[in-house]
Amino acid sequence: MMEEILVTIPFGDMVHYLSEYTIVLFAFAAIFVILAVISLPEKPVDIAFGTDGYTLKETPANLMKFQRFMAIACGIATMGAVMTGDIFNFTLFAAFIGVLNIGIVAAVKNKHVLSAAFSYGLVVMMGTVPLFSGAAIIVATTGTLSIWELAVSGGVPVIAKLLLLIGVLGEGMAPFYIGKAEITRASGAPYILMIHVSSLLLFLRLVEILLTV
Amino acid sequence: MIEFILFLIFAVFFGLLLHGIHRKVIARIQKRPGPPIWQEILHTLKFSFKQTWIPKTASQVMYVAIVLIAIGIWTSALYVLWTGGSLLLIFAFYMLHKIMEHGTGLSSGSPYTKFGAIRSVMSAAAELPLLVTVAVVYIFTGTLSISGIAAWEWANVPLIGIALPAAISLYLIILSKAHYGPFSVIEAKELVSGYWTEHFGGWRALLNIALALKTFVLISVFIVVFLGALPWWLFLIVMVLVMISISFICATTPMLTPYNTVLIQTIWTVFVCVYGVIMWMVLSCL
Repeated sequence: MMEEILVTIPFGDMVHYLSEYTIVLFAFAAIFVILAVISLPEKPVDIAFGTDGYTLKETPANLMKFQRFMAIACGIATMGAVMTGDIFNFTLFAAFIGVLNIGIVAAVKNKHVLSAAFSYGLVVMMGTVPLFSGAAIIVATTGTLSIWELAVSGGVPVIAKLLLLIGVLGEGMAPFYIGKAEITRASGAPYILMIHVSSLLLFLRLVEILLTV
Repeated sequence: MIEFILFLIFAVFFGLLLHGIHRKVIARIQKRPGPPIWQEILHTLKFSFKQTWIPKTASQVMYVAIVLIAIGIWTSALYVLWTGGSLLLIFAFYMLHKIMEHGTGLSSGSPYTKFGAIRSVMSAAAELPLLVTVAVVYIFTGTLSISGIAAWEWANVPLIGIALPAAISLYLIILSKAHYGPFSVIEAKELVSGYWTEHFGGWRALLNIALALKTFVLISVFIVVFLGALPWWLFLIVMVLVMISISFICATTPMLTPYNTVLIQTIWTVFVCVYGVIMWMVLSCL
């Protein structure tokens, strides 16, 4: 008996955007996803202040598994963000990266790290407003969100570009990372490194989009 | 391909020689004899044959992979330069270098390297002027292809004459990545060698090679983009002169605190962003 197709999910808007530039970014993200899969976390050395002593931190297995899952998902979202040819998909991937970045940080059971995760969460939430507003203004003024079409027709308002930039800075969180509670109090490589990989690649892709449209 | 491999080998040795000249000039300004200019080449050869292992505290795969990534990033950047490819790609490779610094620092487990890695993220403000440089170059020349920019300069005028703030931005980028510079907080002495303290022996030799390629690529891009294509012998002389000018700054300027590093880079970023916007508006009106 022939099986019937119950539902069709329209993935027609998942336009790929292949260029030398995006392929380099994609390859870089893919390398770090593979590294997140096969690497074990570092064991940070903590110096006991006032003494010659030091301690070695081990990452618990359950924490490692959760952070690894989040880091891999974040890497895959980054690969999507750098390859997509659709601004709406780009903003979706950017928001996804923001949430996953918080997940990587919030997994650590330490009050300083959790406090940092809370702050990052606020920034990411606020970042979604300009991010999607930018995309909305683009579609309202040009009638399309396809980077291919916008590269030809142009006409994207400067304010929309600025909003996208602010949104990506919020989602990527890189400029807000000065505190670095999660680095000094938790294992850095390879999972927390993925936060920086994703935010930098997201920013680099945005630069290309802003120069193209 | 064989030509590129030969060029790669030349770039490694010349980049290491530039680092040696850098150390020598700093030493002479500070009235020290300093090492011979080929010392960095000798260092790299020496490290290549020293005992090498991976620290027990490291994220072992990442610790090794990040060194290979560093080599890969700058070999690719050199290839882009060789083929006269996109300036935007060079910008991307430079940004990926930041991930390399960060990953090198985070992968070893040492608090010294970790603080070097944190400072690397803090100094991200240094990258924004580079973006403005790319934008300003595009506004003037209408292309981001390095060969296209060189051709435009051949037909018109060297960009350094009409886009000086953009040239200063790229120069600051080179300065910020130079050893012993005022902005070199990521490898400050209070952190031993900063982000690459724990990479020794063969790993250090490979990182030396990557950093030599980085210096070669960044100075070459600076010359091609702002002075234009020069005969090879003049090109090498100008490279040495640019390196010596950087050495003068490094020798006479104390290393800034991380706070001041970020502050100065941010102030310059704001200035150059305003300059970029003004240039865009002026050239749009013409």
